[in-house]
Amino acid sequence: MNNEAYTFALDNTIREIKNVCPEVTNIFIFEENAHTIAKDQNTDQYAINRTVDAFNAIKEKAETSDSFEALTIEGSEGRVNIAPINNFYLATVTSREADDKFVSSLTRILVPTVVKLVDQLHPADLRSNDTFMAAEEELVEEPLQEPMQEPSEYAYEKETLEEAEQVEHETSVVEEDSVGEVAESVNEVHVEDVEENGLVLPEPPVSQVIVESLGRFQLKSDTVRIDDSIISLWNELYGDRTILEVDLDALNGKTVRCKFSHIKDSKYQGKGVIQMPDKIQAALETCKGKLIEVKPVVE
Amino acid sequence: MARKKKSISETSTELVEDSAAVIEAVEEKQAYPELAECLSKLNERLEVLGYILRDTNAATINLKEPEKIVEYAILGSEALEAGQEISQLFNLGEFRCAIVERKETKALCFLINENRINVFMKKDADHAEILSNVRE
Repeated sequence: MNNEAYTFALDNTIREIKNVCPEVTNIFIFEENAHTIAKDQNTDQYAINRTVDAFNAIKEKAETSDSFEALTIEGSEGRVNIAPINNFYLATVTSREADDKFVSSLTRILVPTVVKLVDQLHPADLRSNDTFMAAEEELVEEPLQEPMQEPSEYAYEKETLEEAEQVEHETSVVEEDSVGEVAESVNEVHVEDVEENGLVLPEPPVSQVIVESLGRFQLKSDTVRIDDSIISLWNELYGDRTILEVDLDALNGKTVRCKFSHIKDSKYQGKGVIQMPDKIQAALETCKGKLIEVKPVVE
Repeated sequence: MARKKKSISETSTELVEDSAAVIEAVEEKQAYPELAECLSKLNERLEVLGYILRDTNAATINLKEPEKIVEYAILGSEALEAGQEISQLFNLGEFRCAIVERKETKALCFLINENRINVFMKKDADHAEILSNVRE
């Protein structure tokens, strides 16, 4: 993952730590390779570089027969503590008046939490970005490669599980090869999204529903009918975002994207069922009474 | 447990560079015999693994694991130098001590006048109490 995301989040965290605890005179976070991830405005880069060099020298010697955990340096006017936090090292300089236990508790809870949060946000963005790109590529490539093989009414059928796994494998290889570039673009998108919209769209919720037949002679053979409670949950989650289609995932790996509407028959309301035309059932290779997953396609 | 106590006339850096200096250690009079005595008493504690005391012209090494003499000497020396440097960089005032914590053990490195002292102990030992004990 690119460090920009960490820098963005940890710079703010550091600022807040200093606000809460003014006795923290300097604070910075660095990597083992001496790259500075985040620092407060009071700390100059020269001091950081010298500290990291000295720290690395001690750490190297300390790891001869035992694993290194932390370095503390005490002076008459204050102290420096350097300790590993996740994959980084956090250095805090405090004045003599500081409550060391409070500072330690604050930093050792806050910083790992923020790092974990960034870790959780970004792989999700990376995955959804890759999936989106793969889906786009397929939409472009499929009609060119095999235009006549699929029946026109099942043209909305997507990849099988095997194909999805293959795409996932390929994207993971691409990830390893050019992880820096991909992560950087994802980070840019993420930061822009956060800055412009103030939020990141939640992952589409997956609902498990039981298949009910809609009948052989339905006019709209590409539309399923979904429970009102599920649709209202989506509306609550995504507000003004348009949801015109849903993705249906059968447990056999078959996936179909199609339109949806509300269940009209009151006897099926609130029963956790999805009414489905025979053609979509055939495409999913499922039937009445079988469990499938449904999730919204958010525009 | 095997113990090793010797006084030598070399600094720790020279110890590392020339292991013969350790073997051919020469007894010299410590400038602060009361300090050496205090450290020697501390070394009797179970949680203390040993110490290295260096002044301007002699060094006393007393370790419960003598095979770790080189490792401890390098670590102690490095911690003191780095500690003093970092202390200056961040205006911590007069350098008091550096504590290097490891998974099982820790090293307490400090200065008393021109004496450079490294006390090695188990992780759960109270280094603050040991420091105040020696400083008294």
